Amino acid sequence: MQTLKLLTAAGLIGLAAMGSGAIAQETMQIGVQVPTTGSEATYGQDMINAVQIAVDEINAEGGLLGQQVSLVTGDTACDPQQSVNAASRLVSANVVGVVGGYCSGATLPTLQIYGDANIPFIIAAANSTQLIPENPGNAFMINSTGADQAAKAVEFLSAQGAATLTIVNQGDAYSQDLATLASEDWTAAGNEVVSIETVNKGEQDYSAIVTKIRSTNPDAVFWTAYYADGGLLIRQLRQSGYQGIIAVGDGSNSPQLFDIAGQAAEGVFAFSNPTADFLPQAASFTETYQEDYGNAPGPYAPLAYDGMKLLGWAIAEAGSTDADAIIEVLRSADGQEWLAGPISFTDVNTLARSNFIVLKGEGGAWTRADE
Amino acid sequence: MTSNSNGAVPTHGLGPFLQDARLRWVVAIAILAFLVVAPMIFGSYITVILTNALLYVVLCLGLNIVVGYAGLLDLGYAAFFAVGAYTIGVLTIQFGFNFWVAFPFAVLAAVLAGVIIGGPTLRLRSDYLAIVTLGFGEIVRFSARNLEITGRASGISGIQDPSLFGWQIRTQTDYYYVFVVLAIIAVIASFRLANSRLGRAWLYVRHDEDAAEAMGINRVQVKLAAYVIGAIFGAVGGAFFAANLGAISPESFSFEQSVLVLMAVILGGMGKIPGVILGAFIIILGPELLRDLGEFRLLVFAVGLLLIMLFRPSGIWPGRRGA
Repeated sequence: MQTLKLLTAAGLIGLAAMGSGAIAQETMQIGVQVPTTGSEATYGQDMINAVQIAVDEINAEGGLLGQQVSLVTGDTACDPQQSVNAASRLVSANVVGVVGGYCSGATLPTLQIYGDANIPFIIAAANSTQLIPENPGNAFMINSTGADQAAKAVEFLSAQGAATLTIVNQGDAYSQDLATLASEDWTAAGNEVVSIETVNKGEQDYSAIVTKIRSTNPDAVFWTAYYADGGLLIRQLRQSGYQGIIAVGDGSNSPQLFDIAGQAAEGVFAFSNPTADFLPQAASFTETYQEDYGNAPGPYAPLAYDGMKLLGWAIAEAGSTDADAIIEVLRSADGQEWLAGPISFTDVNTLARSNFIVLKGEGGAWTRADE
Repeated sequence: MTSNSNGAVPTHGLGPFLQDARLRWVVAIAILAFLVVAPMIFGSYITVILTNALLYVVLCLGLNIVVGYAGLLDLGYAAFFAVGAYTIGVLTIQFGFNFWVAFPFAVLAAVLAGVIIGGPTLRLRSDYLAIVTLGFGEIVRFSARNLEITGRASGISGIQDPSLFGWQIRTQTDYYYVFVVLAIIAVIASFRLANSRLGRAWLYVRHDEDAAEAMGINRVQVKLAAYVIGAIFGAVGGAFFAANLGAISPESFSFEQSVLVLMAVILGGMGKIPGVILGAFIIILGPELLRDLGEFRLLVFAVGLLLIMLFRPSGIWPGRRGA
């Protein structure tokens, strides 16, 4: 027991030393608000990596306003309560701006905090339409919203000749939001929504819903949630003999869908944010990412990179770290080309165009289907 | 700060020190003074963390009544927290109520929830009780996730900040003081309850249910009272939590939330008020202090918790024999 106590004490002292050594004030600090723990940690880490690449490039060119840029990370764990803590911490660290925002639910309550502190916030991934009315005016969404994805889905599926649609979601904020929006658009386009189904996360057996889909036999099935469960549903749907179109939302555009669904994923359509693989201008970014981190950039890496670059541009353009000046510049962004395409904002600070692309499963990988 | 001294010899370090009534007051006033000036000394980040810790103090003291006083294991405490938060959310957003008008309904809803969970579980003991409370917690969360009125999975956002006698509660510092007051009320209520007739009855029921009943204690009433009072603590915390964040979603009331609160209670020492407060602070401050460790912080924190339980199996706060 005595040794254990000593070990504990030594460990605590070590921790204290590590903690105090981490803060340096001479540089310009930019906050990154993403989940680095919890189920979404891989996406969060991916976004940090991408932002770091952008910062490295900015620093190599002499930094911003003559200062080197450094990052402070705030872990939201995809949890509203923790994200408020993280955001307050970033505010206390006197960051000039914040890039990030992955989970919409966890991003929502931070808007007021950055709003009160008047800190420019570039939301790189989170795209729920709920964020729009809560934005005090200092936040900018550079990812297209769920409404854009729903519009893209309806447009594409209609073009494929589908008239009846079953939408399946998982009952979480993101997939439910998308399902509702898609259903509204689909009906507005004069088509028929056969039904909207909700399944529970982590379910293994989808035979009940598969049977229902088989008996109503819609032209298309739209899965709006994530790949892990979507893969199973797709597999069971095809096994049951369903021949119609299957489409999935951007939560399911992971290559891992092919591991889970296997052969059944062939011919499946996915709506996706611009990922690095399908952006011709992102080749050198992908290469740097691969070199620095040993794996391919994830789905939100280009957007996170763009977010940092956009913020850097705005600070340089404003010529100061004054928040109002930076926000003014961001508002005036008029369609310059970035990694994931041109950025300009609507008057509610959302991306002025839809950045969704359509992918198709072919030979165990995604290929671009809308070009 | 230990409750009434009944002549028992304290077994550990801090006990005798705090046994002295005058010293107890000095410590209490010092803590209070610290809480009042803290936001002025520290930045907004620390204030937010302390606010969170104080919210947990309220929740933990509430659960302490159920688990610590009455000895009923509850794995679904987040449900009461959710009931409070959602009552405020639904009434203010969907029905346009003022926060203070909605507040009594939140308490009422908690009482109702306490009776609903308390009623059928009165016959159950230990493991079975744990399973039923666990189920109750999930039922509440899943209802919130699927009902139209609770905003389904997206939850409710845009909850207005309340004002009190012309004081608009808005900034983080404002909410901090609100939670300081709530925590103080919770502490006083806990002390008073522990020393009341009801508190004695809980103690008796916890030790031996059958003997207690034989001595004329109404077991049903006493246990129900524990659930209902615990639920009120949770709902009050939840109501102000909703106002503070301005947005609530079902994810905030997950099983982990119940476990965290229970963990804080066990860590500090079940039934011991200062211990429970300490546990709440450790559970909230621990992961925050370790933020610089990045992804390792939860690992390090977990190891820390394991070590604490290894060295102090009955909680951090020194126990008293015969309590």
